Amino acid sequence: MSPAFGSFPVGADYAALLPMAAVACTPLVILFADLFLTGGGGVRRGVAIGIAIVGLVIAGVIEAGQYPHDYAAFGGAFIEGGFSIVFSEIVIVATVATLLLSAGIGRTDQVAGTTALLLWSASGAMLMSGAANLMTVFLGLELLSLGLYCLCAISARSTAREAALKYLILSSMASGFLLYGSALLFGATGSVAFAALAAAPMTPLFALGSGLFLVGIAFKLSLVPFHAWTPDVYEGAPLPVTAFMSVVTKAGTLAVFARFAYAALPPDRASAILVPIWVAAALSMVIGNLAALAQTDMKRLLAYSGIAQVGYIVAAFAGQTALGLRYALLYLAGYTFMNLGAFAVVELMSRDGDAVVGLPRFAGLAYRRPWLAAAMTLFLVGLAGLPPTIGFTGKILILAVTTGAGYAWLAGVLILGTAISAYVYFKIVRAMFVHVDLAHVRDERSRNPLPWLAVAVCAVMTFALGVFPLTPSNVLPLVK
Amino acid sequence: MIVGALVLAPIVLGLALYALPHRAARAGKGAALVIAALIFALVCLESQAPDVSLRWLSRPFAAAFHLGFGPISYWLVLLLALVTFSAVLVVRGPRARGIAAQLLVLQGAMNGLFLAKDVLLFALFWDLMLLPVFLVLVGAGTHGRTAWKYLLYNLVGGLALLLATAAFGIVAGTTDVIGNPALQAGIGATWGAWIFAGFAFAFLIKTPVFPFHTWMPETYADLPPPVVAVVSAVQSKAGLYGFLTIGVPFLGPEMVQARPLMFALGLVSLVYGAFVALAERDAKRVVAYSSLSHLGLILLAVFSGSTLAYAGALVYIIAHGLFSAALFIVLGAVEQREETRDLLRLGGLGARNPQLAGALMLAALAALGLPGLAGFAGEILILTGLYRAGFGWPAVIALLPIVLAAAYMLRVYQSIMNGPEHPDLPERRDLTWVEGLAVAPLVAAVVWLGVDPASVVAAVMAGGAHVAGVR
Repeated sequence: MSPAFGSFPVGADYAALLPMAAVACTPLVILFADLFLTGGGGVRRGVAIGIAIVGLVIAGVIEAGQYPHDYAAFGGAFIEGGFSIVFSEIVIVATVATLLLSAGIGRTDQVAGTTALLLWSASGAMLMSGAANLMTVFLGLELLSLGLYCLCAISARSTAREAALKYLILSSMASGFLLYGSALLFGATGSVAFAALAAAPMTPLFALGSGLFLVGIAFKLSLVPFHAWTPDVYEGAPLPVTAFMSVVTKAGTLAVFARFAYAALPPDRASAILVPIWVAAALSMVIGNLAALAQTDMKRLLAYSGIAQVGYIVAAFAGQTALGLRYALLYLAGYTFMNLGAFAVVELMSRDGDAVVGLPRFAGLAYRRPWLAAAMTLFLVGLAGLPPTIGFTGKILILAVTTGAGYAWLAGVLILGTAISAYVYFKIVRAMFVHVDLAHVRDERSRNPLPWLAVAVCAVMTFALGVFPLTPSNVLPLVK
Repeated sequence: MIVGALVLAPIVLGLALYALPHRAARAGKGAALVIAALIFALVCLESQAPDVSLRWLSRPFAAAFHLGFGPISYWLVLLLALVTFSAVLVVRGPRARGIAAQLLVLQGAMNGLFLAKDVLLFALFWDLMLLPVFLVLVGAGTHGRTAWKYLLYNLVGGLALLLATAAFGIVAGTTDVIGNPALQAGIGATWGAWIFAGFAFAFLIKTPVFPFHTWMPETYADLPPPVVAVVSAVQSKAGLYGFLTIGVPFLGPEMVQARPLMFALGLVSLVYGAFVALAERDAKRVVAYSSLSHLGLILLAVFSGSTLAYAGALVYIIAHGLFSAALFIVLGAVEQREETRDLLRLGGLGARNPQLAGALMLAALAALGLPGLAGFAGEILILTGLYRAGFGWPAVIALLPIVLAAAYMLRVYQSIMNGPEHPDLPERRDLTWVEGLAVAPLVAAVVWLGVDPASVVAAVMAGGAHVAGVR
């Protein structure tokens, strides 16, 4: 098999696995430590969250140190390098933010378990970001999803169970598509490695296989028309889990999609095979934003907004240009901060961390809690693509590469979607700044101050990335 | 450094005003006034400040945070500093702190727009300046629809601008081009028309020009007087400034192609705005429609391709800024006293409020183009420029609304100040010295510019070599 992997070393390079292993092994420490803590309350939560954050930070530091190098493990099935490192860092940041938001999801005796599941899900997303063959993709996807099925159902509300069941069934179906597509691709080419797929001749079987594979991806990215599960699942899941899903699931799946689009599809045929994905991205930008217009529950609103935002990111891949990949990564990083920041604000506005936060809760927020309102305005302005945020800079870069790659229609649809989205996001801004009788507003505050840390970091990053749009430069060679 | 401070200082200090307690309206206003005065002094003293430039993007096209004075932008920044100072002076009410803060943020964003030497930076500030006005409209809360209309119209324009900027960057390889004569090669036929269409759409909405004007009367009517003074005086000039600094040098052939359409839109705005202004009952809406009419005239000048008309456009841009700010401030003073802007309900204020009447008279005379005041200087330059460039008929048609301006402006004055005193109107004090201080520099500048427009004209004529390259 080795010729298929080009210059990558074959064999198990343990350095490649080190960050993912750190994330995957931390839960064992947490579960073990939890055995000795039988009391209730803050200590038990603090220990679980603390160990988890330490583990994630260690993984992040190792990952950052590996940035200039390439590693490959399992005969090239898992490749670690600039591309996957950026995705993995996004996953790590999002997981830390989720932990800050949650301070432990569920009852005290569940915290160790839920934290462990969260970290295992994160390691699944990290596996996906480095996956270079069809089997590792599936392995990572299932590892990511299995933890999330449980986490969705953790709260006692009936919508939580509905969400978990819906997620389980629809996600399994998506996995089915992906798996069937993988099987057909293997049948067509005789190899599961992405690099081997690129060299294979075009047959009907290959086209069908890649089509089914992409359907599975579109499901997981919740691109229109495969998006219907997203709002219900987001609504039912606990808010930190929703925040996690809105970033980590999308980041992991985007990594797989990018590698598939850039490295697995033969360049001469890729543009034809991927056309349906660009159409789905265009539909997502328009329909996602149109559907968000009608939402008043923040979780559903952010779910639809996420559908549209992923449409923008996918649009950057159009034409499979090197710059497009870089700007997709930049926008994904920006989306991570803007979206997690918005979720952290919502979390700070609910007392038990599990309530439904609707639009009316924002009424007059600027006069009650000005700092929170200022931060939320920044995140919403960013999501709407206005300056001075990464939302603006990222969007202009995506517009530029998409237009430059000959997909001017996609850029036009992106503009249309953004115009619609202005109403979605500014509806919340307007609610915050409108003068109301504050006596009639429910002013709930979270008992957990940690989300403030997430809000502060996200606000700084949303602004700073817009002014200094650092794009990773050595991304492309590692996909190929 | 100085030009960077002109952009950042108002924004940062304006936001810092929010750190003051919510009730500290007087302290907030006082602090904002000091800041506005300092910025005005800075603009006056540092007219030769060097550019600042920081790299922003290198791919897919080069872009920089490049700020600097240009021949036209210096005057607009000066106008903005003066109008902002006057506007902050007349901020009042329980929300004074917030409005003063938003005025400063707006000033910073618009300084950025005028000082930007990079098209992408221009687009950034174009979108940024929407936010303070939207927030003030939301806070004013008179009609919920107005804020949406303002935001959505202008944002759609801003997005077209953004797409056009991206295409501009891809084609030209850099957006760091404004005021750089070496790079005025033009965009080329394939993309030029599309890029021009994107820019023009944004500029026409912002100005506004018929048929994109429907957001304007409502926005002007609902904004508090100090903010509408700034928006009407300066923000409405952003589009015309864009045509002059981006359109003329880089999209010259497209501007010539678009001339018949733009002339038609400009003339329709001129005539339509004047007739609606004659019929409106709301004093603020009269001035709003008169702006539509006046800015239509400037649009003609911008598309005429004549350097003389460009000079007239700049003079008239400044003149309109000065007298519309003065008009809105005085009308705000009237509304605050009488609690109505309805011309049919008002009347007879002049007898007991001679200073208020005098201030309104001066502003109205400037607006109707009395010779010796700034409006006349701008109009005569534009009309002469149009005529000399061979556009005889448009110049003749443009004369009619200028005559109508006398009718509607005097009607405003007459309805408010003359006639019998209305017993049901509350009797209030005459113009306070603070309000007088706000209006006086604007009126003084109107007189100065009317008597001696040469220094402003020279700014355009000096840069005329490259501006005139169109024809």
